[in-house]
This record gives sequence, structure tokens and C-alpha cells, in this order.
Amino acid sequence: MSITNLLENWSDFRQQHPSDERPHREYKWAMSIDLDSCTGCNACSVACYAENNLPVVGKEKFAHGHSHHWIRIERYWDNDGREFADQGAQFLPMLCQHCESAPCETVCPVGATNHTADGLNSQVYNRCVGSRYCNANCPYKARYFNWYDYPTTDNVWPEPMNQQLNPDVTVRGKGVMEKCTFCVQRLTVAKSNARSAGRSVLDGEVQTACQQVCPTGAISFGNLVDPLAKVGKQWMTQQVELNKDKQAKDAEEKAVKLRGYRILEELRTYPSVMYLEQLRESAI
Amino acid sequence: MIENSFNRRGFLKVLGWGGATVALSGCGNTSVEDGKEFVTSYVQTADYIIPSIGTYFNSTCAQCDAGCGIMGRVREGRVLKLEGNPKSSINNGKMCGLGQAGVQAHYNPDRIREPLLRNGDKGEAITWEKALGLINEKVGGVKAENIAFLTGGVSGHVKALLKNYLDALGSGHHYVYEAVAPSIMRAANKKAYGIEMPRLRLDKAKVIVSFGADFLGAWISPVHFSQQYARFRKADNGERGVLVQVESKMTLTGANADRWLAIRPGTEGILALGLINALAAAGLSVPGDVAAVVKEYTTDRVSKDTGVSTEHIGRLAALLKERSPSLVIAGSAAEGYAHGSQNATAIALLNQVLGNVGKTVEAPSSVPFPQMAPATGNRLALQSLNDNVAQDKVKVLFTYGVNPVFTAPASMKLKENLKKVPFKVVFAHYMDETALEADLVLPLNSALEDWATAMPEYVAEGAQLNIQQPLMEKLYPGTLGMGDILLALLKQRRPDEYKGYEDFYSYLRSAMVSNKGALGGLATDDDTFWDATLSHGVVKLAGTPVNMSGSPSAKGLVVPGPFAEDSAYPFHLIPAVSASLRDGRNANEPWLQESPDPLTTIVWDSWVEMHPKTAAKLGIVEGDIVEVASRSGAIKAQAYVFTGIHPDVISVPLGNGHEALGRYAKGIGVNAFKILDSVFDKETGELAMHETRVKVSKAGQRVVIVKDEGPAGGNQMGRKIAVRMSSNKVNLSGEV
Amino acid sequence: MSMLSRRQSNCLLGELLTMYCFLRFSILLVGLIVSAGSYAVSAAQPLTTADDLGPKVEQPIEFPHDRHAGDAAKGGMQINCMYCHTYARRSIVAGIPPLQKCIGCHQNIESVRETPRIKKLFEYWEAKKAVPWKKVHDLPDFVRFNHERHIQRFVFAQNKPVQEACGYCHGDVKTMTVARRQKPLSMGWCVSCHQKDHPVDATSTKTTHGPNDCWQCHK
Repeated sequence: MSITNLLENWSDFRQQHPSDERPHREYKWAMSIDLDSCTGCNACSVACYAENNLPVVGKEKFAHGHSHHWIRIERYWDNDGREFADQGAQFLPMLCQHCESAPCETVCPVGATNHTADGLNSQVYNRCVGSRYCNANCPYKARYFNWYDYPTTDNVWPEPMNQQLNPDVTVRGKGVMEKCTFCVQRLTVAKSNARSAGRSVLDGEVQTACQQVCPTGAISFGNLVDPLAKVGKQWMTQQVELNKDKQAKDAEEKAVKLRGYRILEELRTYPSVMYLEQLRESAI
Repeated sequence: MIENSFNRRGFLKVLGWGGATVALSGCGNTSVEDGKEFVTSYVQTADYIIPSIGTYFNSTCAQCDAGCGIMGRVREGRVLKLEGNPKSSINNGKMCGLGQAGVQAHYNPDRIREPLLRNGDKGEAITWEKALGLINEKVGGVKAENIAFLTGGVSGHVKALLKNYLDALGSGHHYVYEAVAPSIMRAANKKAYGIEMPRLRLDKAKVIVSFGADFLGAWISPVHFSQQYARFRKADNGERGVLVQVESKMTLTGANADRWLAIRPGTEGILALGLINALAAAGLSVPGDVAAVVKEYTTDRVSKDTGVSTEHIGRLAALLKERSPSLVIAGSAAEGYAHGSQNATAIALLNQVLGNVGKTVEAPSSVPFPQMAPATGNRLALQSLNDNVAQDKVKVLFTYGVNPVFTAPASMKLKENLKKVPFKVVFAHYMDETALEADLVLPLNSALEDWATAMPEYVAEGAQLNIQQPLMEKLYPGTLGMGDILLALLKQRRPDEYKGYEDFYSYLRSAMVSNKGALGGLATDDDTFWDATLSHGVVKLAGTPVNMSGSPSAKGLVVPGPFAEDSAYPFHLIPAVSASLRDGRNANEPWLQESPDPLTTIVWDSWVEMHPKTAAKLGIVEGDIVEVASRSGAIKAQAYVFTGIHPDVISVPLGNGHEALGRYAKGIGVNAFKILDSVFDKETGELAMHETRVKVSKAGQRVVIVKDEGPAGGNQMGRKIAVRMSSNKVNLSGEV
Repeated sequence: MSMLSRRQSNCLLGELLTMYCFLRFSILLVGLIVSAGSYAVSAAQPLTTADDLGPKVEQPIEFPHDRHAGDAAKGGMQINCMYCHTYARRSIVAGIPPLQKCIGCHQNIESVRETPRIKKLFEYWEAKKAVPWKKVHDLPDFVRFNHERHIQRFVFAQNKPVQEACGYCHGDVKTMTVARRQKPLSMGWCVSCHQKDHPVDATSTKTTHGPNDCWQCHK
């Protein structure tokens, strides 16, 4: 394997996850987020704190970039030098994109972050040694490191605040990396219930915490393999394909455009989260 | 005994035994300790309780007055998470961040745990028996007219009991105060439509013009409006609604507008009249007297007065003419100014002229039980109380559900005046600023461990009675619910009437069951009705629609011209109401402090927002500590510069700046309430929130603002991360 | 720079750095695999049958599992495990039965009513106090072991006898008085069984092995 070969055929080496030839069989969890519905209200982020035992780090640690918001609202302005932000803001909920070819996975020295058969990018806390290479290599900056032992840090979970912790999710200690899990604790329960009933998980049977709470219903989540799933229909309508890094949208100039896109798709990370472009009325 | 059927309360007691010692399996314990950890089983349990599987109980959110239905996830006797109750027509299973933080209000480490009686500078723990005895003694020792009750918005059975207690005392002084409330809009609506709070159908509107109403963030019922907004943006036929937000400081709603129009503060009424004039010119039929009044509001003049370009006025008028029905909403345009009532009237007139009344402005339903209908708060109430306190007319003061010492402008001198009240009782969850002034502090149950009912002011359909029920056993034996306290106080006054009720629960159950016919349970027996009611968490009531009255009329409508310049205090101060902190009562919930403000992305602090032009003029850059001084006081905070604000305006968010409350709030940021000038709406007497004029100066230091955005302040540097396109390029009807 | 790129400032070189990391760690990974392999060789042992006796646990009441679940020939009552551990088939935890379950039978069993253990049981019951049992089979908090899935698979789908299925992990409880851990409950021991092919149900010849995703068991 020469360095030239590696550089030229980079994508071949990285495309190690289910592809057109080897598709997901039962489940491929995916999401779509409609940026025209997202109002930037932060309800999803708080829901994630509640569901996933995220520590509140306080002002000083926040200033150091140590915040733990597995889903955060990024806010962009598109002013072009105009006097006012007169078309409002662009809000974007950013979370782990559960890339099919995840840059974080290839760099983990201990194999603590892996791809599951359901197409999730998993993070195994007890295996993680805290090298933070995955964090450095994530183009979405969706990974968060435990610089401190939050369970024993003052005022993170003082008695009786610790009684709110969700027993289905580990409370992470110092020195491990963490990130959005697509609420894997909920997926596991839904899959187990479905299996006991001798079927697959039905669309809508399982919701992520952020999806469940979203007041405008901007977030859809489901199984891309399931032809009845709303999320799959959305991907299909927008002609966004999981295993491609160039979509129909990019290819041609059409009268009616598609809104679906994946962030930094050109990096060939093959994300599992599709965003729908925000819209603005031209008549005003 | 074994086949004991479990009622809701028995169940809780069982959970208490199991829950008290249950191991916190999620607490970072990574060691395996066979034979050391306890595994506690239930003594008795209901069949539906399965260890490790969450059970959901419906209740009502008490974090704000919107009255969303919540569903608490309970496991092993602990409530873990609040989710939306799908059966509530207000929020249909959805929640906001503020609502979810309700668990942090419940488990808050700074809650008061026992009654405290003032002893010099300290609070001394006393028993409830002694506390209630003391109240009886104090109210017995003064004249009835010298007893006053100050509360926030109240409704339901607690309100009914409160009224009965006041009647029993012979006092009629119930002041209902909310620091942040759409009071001027209510009055203007009453005048224009004959009702205070019409139903707004955002989902039916094709165009929404909002004059500073932050309906997606902090205005009236944001979770409900957000759902309507989603349908407005993506109607079934694929037609996308257009949102235009007119305001001087961008709100969350403004940040989602197709066009955000920065208007000179206070001139919203002029723009509304200018739009009517432009619509009339474009052929919309406008009643003669209205046309006569608006004809002087030519587009050129309006543009000059408001700072909104003639082009935008023209396009907006054309849009309103072309797409009907539309909806025009008055928010800060009404609450902000001494002429707020006139602004709101002009805006209501625009709705009427556009023919929106009956289409997107609908009549609400009457409430079948008026004694439980919401008593809505306003700012005038505190003013009246303060006047009476200053004149030594109040000898015993009860405070519940508000923190007036924090929210009153310093110019009111409320804190000083309160020293004149000989006996002050504060019902509170935390030692807040008002509780610190009290003689007797009575600790309340959290909303997740208390019984109550609530009737929200804004209901999506019909009328609705919300049930609030305990989701778990009380954390502290020394707290009590407001209903229980009122019942105990009523037993002192009217023992014959109330001695039959062991506690508030039995009162509530009996009150509900004896009215089950009107509450939709006519055909069922008492137990079935009660179980179903608790299980649903909401009772839908058959309300009759109220008649809307009023026709477009410009009679008596005078909208003053733009503000004169004030060279000493050149800027308008807009105290911004944030979706998470509101009037500051929830500031001790750390999730809310760590949720970035949607527009500035700042956390854990206050800031001073200004336009880049203003900043350049004053030589201020981001992070400079600046002093904002009004005629009533001054505050210092970090400057944040961005283009979502009018250059004549300085904005400081409300909610932080606590001197008490708890560990997550005390000492964080500054309190903008303090420096508000005493300027009042001319018609209603309400404090005008945006009338304070300020000057801004650098105070020397500079800090690095703690915020979530990067140093580029939200520029994507040419990368396609958040992408936007013109709505006429897509076909929404083809989407899933 | 945007929010995204600020966070990325460590990695401005983007792909190039990725490449560097990849090269560096592919070498490192090879090293790891080799050493892991050699470990596996030297430590090879039949893990499924390994017995690893846990500590003796003192319980508030010495519950005699042998008397309740043991063979009739040995004086046992042959009660199904799931009569008491009723949650095992529908929850991730098997659960300790509520006290009312014990009382439900014992209030009708006069013959042992005055024995010390049963007297103690009724004392708890009358005081409405939970019995402070000690955990015998503990797992670290980052592990999610789902009883329901295993019972559904082995007892209901494959028709294995209950005591055999429970016994895979809990040992021969029907011969014990106070239960004691008999199996190592270590990850290697779990995986050794997950790697085996098991029939999907009682009649089928189709087999599958247990899931091997990290997130199946780690939370």
C-alpha cells in the first residue's frame, strides 16, 4: 500500500461500512431536520440534557469549550454586509451525524468508537482511554470530552438533583469521550419489544428525546430500511442517497429545487442526518 | 390486603418506601460490588409497576402560565423526565426547554424545606402548626381592609379557595401581578373585539405581521403557537405562510421571519396606520372614518417616522392585499410605550380592515366555572399595592407565586416600602429576594409533588381544566402545597364548612366528583370518573363561544409622532424577555442558565445588545463592560454587538441579576428591571416596558464573552453548513 | 470563522491530519491486534462453563432457594423461578419479588408460620418495611443486561426449561439456600456464549449467534 495509492483511493479505504453491495438488513437509523421549521428554541437541547445525563458545567468551563450539549443550536447570520439581519437568523441543530464512514472511528487507538449493525456510530465509555483523536477528527465537532469527573464536581448534580439522572444511561466519569447516541437506550427497548412481538420496530414507535420534544416537529427519526418510515420517504423525496457523496440536488439546475442536503458531504463522511434548507419568501 | 386496589395516593406511598432507598444505578458507579449494594424491593406494588420500566403520569406544567400538559416519566419512585402530554390540546405532546427544566425546580438543592420565622436577621425553623397559628393571630389582630394578598396569575381550585379565604377574612385586596404580561394588549383587544384574549389562528393565516410579539419564544403560549407556526409554514396544500416581524430588537420570532423590519421604537402604530392607508390606496375597502384618519399617513411620511423603507411598506401592503386571510399581532408595540394602547388599537384596526376577525382572530369559549377562571396578572396591580403599602394601609401581606422585590423597578421603592408592613408572609420555593424581606416564609411543595387544577388563559379549543398531580412522594416532609395551606387557613376561619376535608386532595376530589356532570363524567361512577380524570391529566369542558363585537373604527384614535430626541439619554432601553428565564423566577434551574440565548448564544450572564453603528459611535467593541444608566439607576454588563437591533436601541435581557434565589442564580448577571423608569401607559396605567431612556458609556474593562458561537459571530465563511433558499424555488406540496 | 470551524481549530489541516492519524494508528492497531492475539492463545479456556464463585452474601433473611425451587425428591417445592422473579420475562431486571408476594403464600402456610425466618418476614410486613436484600449478581453501571431478551429467546422461543435457562448465568440456584454468584459475569464470558450459534426457536434448524455490537450491552 503505497502512500500514492492511499491518497488517490482514499474513499475506497474509508468506505468500510454498509454500502450498495452490502446494505443494512434490518435497521438503519437516520434523521432528517427541517431547517425551515426549526425555530432555534433550544427545547431539543434541554431534552437531551434530561434524557442523557449531560452535566451542566458552569460559566468558567463553558468558556473553555467544555460544554456538553450533544445537540446544540448553531446560529448563523447571512448579512452580506447589510445594516440589519433583516432575513432573520439561520438556526441549525448540530448533533453527531452518525456518519456511515465516520472519521472518528478510524482514528480511535483502542476501538472505543465503532459502527453498529444498525448504522449507529457507537461510543463505548468503558473502552475509551481519552486520547481525544476522535474529537480532533470530527468535522462536525459533535464529540464532547469529560475533562472533569462531573458526578463528584460541586453543583453539577448536588443532592437531590442526582435523583433526576436517567438510570438507562451511564453517567460518564472523567477522561472519556461522549456524544449523541440517537438515544440508543430507547432504540434498544423498542427493538427488544418488537422482537418479543415477532416483528420489526414500526415507524413512530421510537422517538429520540429531541424529536419527541420539538414544538414544530422539525426533526424526523426512523429506520431508513423501512419503506413505510417517514424519514425514508423524506430522503427519497429529496433524492438524498446514503451511500453517495454527490446528490441529485448538486447535479443539475432545475426549475423546482430540492431542499435536502447533508453537511460537509464533500468530506465523504456519509452522514445519517439530512437537513432541509431554510426558506425565505422573496416577495417581501 | 394483598388484592388491595391501588388508588393514586396509596400507590405513591408504596413508591415512597421503595423509592427512598433505591440505589441510584445511574450514578457513575463502575465497580462491581456483589453483596454490598442493597437491592430494595417493594412491600406492595401495583401490577403496572415493573422495575426498570418507566411509568408515565399526566400532570400540568407550572413553569409558566401557558398550562401545557405534561407527562412525567417515573421510575422506582423518582420522576426522571417531563414529556408533553399528547392529550392536551395546548401542547399536543410537545414541550419547551423551560417546561422540561421543571424537574430541576423540583429536585433543586436550594429549596426551602421548613417554615421559617424571622428572628432578627435569621430565619428560625418553626412547625407548620405554629406558623399557621401565627397567621391566624396576625390576621385576627388587624382590620380586614389592611390584609392584602399578592399573587401571580392563579386559576382553578386554588383560586377558588383563595377567594373563599379572602371572603372569610372580609378582605377584598387580591393583587394579581405579573411582571411580564400582555396586559395592554388585553385591554386593547377588549376595546376592539370585545374580548381580552381572542384565539389566534396562525395556522390559517397566509401572512403574519407581528409587531414585536415573540410568539415562538416567550409570548402567552409559545409551544402552542410553535405548532401552529409549523402548519403555517408548511400547509397541507404546500402554500408557505409569510412571517414579517416588526420590532426594534430582534426576538426569537423575529429571527425566524422572512423579513425582519427594524422599526424606530414606538412608531409601530404609525406603520399600522400607514399600511391601512396603503391598502386603501391599493383598493381595499376601508370604512370612511378610518380612511379619513389614515389618509395623512402617506408611505413617505410613515417611512420617515418609522425608519422602515418605502419599498418594504409597499411590498408589505401588497402582500397583505394579495394573500388573505392574514393575521396582525401586537406584542411589545403595545406593552412598551406610554402610547401602547394606541399602538395596539391601531394594530387591531389593521386586522379588522383586513377582514381577519372571525378568520384568524377567533372568539374563545366562555369558562363554565367562573370562580376557577384565570385571574390574569398585570403590572398595574403591583403599582396599586405599592401605593397602599406606602400609605400604611397594609398590615398583613401574603405573597405567592411572584417575586416583586426582584421585578419591581427601583424607582417604585417597593423594598423600602415593604418595611412598613408589620407582618409579611411569603409562600415560596426558594429564599428569593422577596422571601428575604418576609417575616414568615412558608415552603411550598414543588409542582411535581402537589395537587392543583389550572385553567389556562389561552386555550386552543373549547375550555379546559388541567390537573396537576404529584408525580412522586414529597422530597421534604416540611413543605406543603398551596391548596393545603389555604384549606388549613380556611379551617381556622370557617371550621364548619371545611372540617370535613382531611386535606386539599380530599377537597379537590370531592369538588371535582360532585361536579362530574359538567366535567364530562355524567355517565360514570365517581371512582371511574376520578381515575379517568387523573389518567388524562386534562378535562375538556364544553364552553360556549363568546361573542366578538366591534367594527373597524378610528374614533378617538390618535397615534403620537416619533419620540423626540433626548440628548442626555439618547437610547431606548428594551428589557428583553427570554424564552427560558422570563421574569427571572426560573433562574435557579441550571439547564436554563446553560442553554445559550438563541440569538447571542451567550450563557450564564447578562449582556448589553447594541447595533454595530451604535457601538462604533460609542467606541465600544464586543466584551467591553459598559454602563447603562437611566434616570432611575445604572447597571454594568458586557457589550454584545450585532445587527438584530435598531441603532436607537439598547437591549438587556431580563431574568438574571439575582441577589438571592439560589446557587445557580445568585450573582449571575444584572437585573434590568431595576433601572426602568416609571412611565405608564396612558390608558391602562400599566408600566410601559420600553419607555426607559438610557445612556451608555464604557466602564473600563473588557472581557471575553462566554458564548456558544465562534469569534466570527455566526459567519459561515463561505461553507455550506446552514443553507437557505428562496421559497419560490421549491414545491412544498410534493414533500413528505 | 464559524462555530463549527472554531471547534475544529485543532484540525485545520482537515483531511491531511486525518491521513496522518490514519497512518499512525493503523500501525498502532496492528500492534494491538498482535498482542491481543497472543493473549488469546495463552489464556484460552472454556469460558462458558467457567465457575467463578462470588462472595458469600449475608442476607437479612436466609432465603432457602432449595426449599422453594429444589427438586421434589430433595424436599423442594419445584416452584418456577418466574413465579417469584416475575419481571424477568418483561423487563431488563429480574427483580426481587415484592414482600406481598411472599406473604401471599405464607399467610396460608401455618406449618412454618412460627419459624424464625418467617416470623422475621411477617415483622417486615407488619411494619410495612422493605426487606433490605443485598445484591448477589451485580454488573457495572455501563452494562445493560436484558433479562427479558434472554428469557424470551431461551424459554419461550426455544422451550428450554426455565431452571436451565436461568442457570446459564445464575448457576444451579435450586440447590442453594442463599444465592451465591457462580459464574464470572465478565465480558469475555458473555461473549463466549454470544459467539456460539443458537437455534432461533424450538423447531427450526436455523441458528444465529448473539449480537456483538458494543451498544447492545454497553450503555
